Amino acid sequence: MENKNPLSPHLQIYRWHVSSLVSFSHRVTGIINFISVIFVCIWASLLILGESNYILINHMLDSIFGKFIILGFTWSFSFQILSEIRHLIMDMGYGFEIKTTRISGLLVIFGSILLTIIIFILGKNLF
Amino acid sequence: MNIATKKWIMLKISSIILIPLMLWFVLNFVSIYDKSFEEILNFFSKSTSRFLFSLFIIFSFFFSALSISEVFEDYISENNLKNVANKILYLSAIIFPMITIIIIFRLN
Repeated sequence: MENKNPLSPHLQIYRWHVSSLVSFSHRVTGIINFISVIFVCIWASLLILGESNYILINHMLDSIFGKFIILGFTWSFSFQILSEIRHLIMDMGYGFEIKTTRISGLLVIFGSILLTIIIFILGKNLF
Repeated sequence: MNIATKKWIMLKISSIILIPLMLWFVLNFVSIYDKSFEEILNFFSKSTSRFLFSLFIIFSFFFSALSISEVFEDYISENNLKNVANKILYLSAIIFPMITIIIIFRLN
């Protein structure tokens, strides 16, 4: 049965701006994080099979491709963290002015890159 | 209370809980993912890590299921297809964390 509710307009209809980019990226990173957490569950569950089986996934994660995946995954989580904080602030009724939404959107985009770098510096003890 | 309002409130509560858990998990994952089997096993043998990791996956799946169902609502017009997609989503949001938590608590 066809739903009578209107669907979201196609992405090509409106001109892109910071808020739409953050909104679209928020949804995409949400789906990426869902898939990432499934892989994290598989990764953690493989531990029960013992060291010889675990070594296969360990080699994959330690490769250039694996490191790229981890980097992307970290950025995706960083983006979600900052974007969710932005959403919660907006839910409290703040930051709806056009200039503020643009600034907060840019803070989420550039802040997520900075947060990814900080997580890697702290996680890898690079200090 | 409207079902959509209830869903929105649940989404916001899980989001508030998930933000610090995501930060904790990503920081720890980046520090251990390339470590040896023993070191990772040692991480999961700590009760704090087990507890926080379990909370992280429960709230991640709960939050993802609610937010992805919104994406289905916005972009899928066919009701049968939307219902199937939602059922698969909710089922995976129960099965994956349940199996993982059982395994994590059985690790020595």
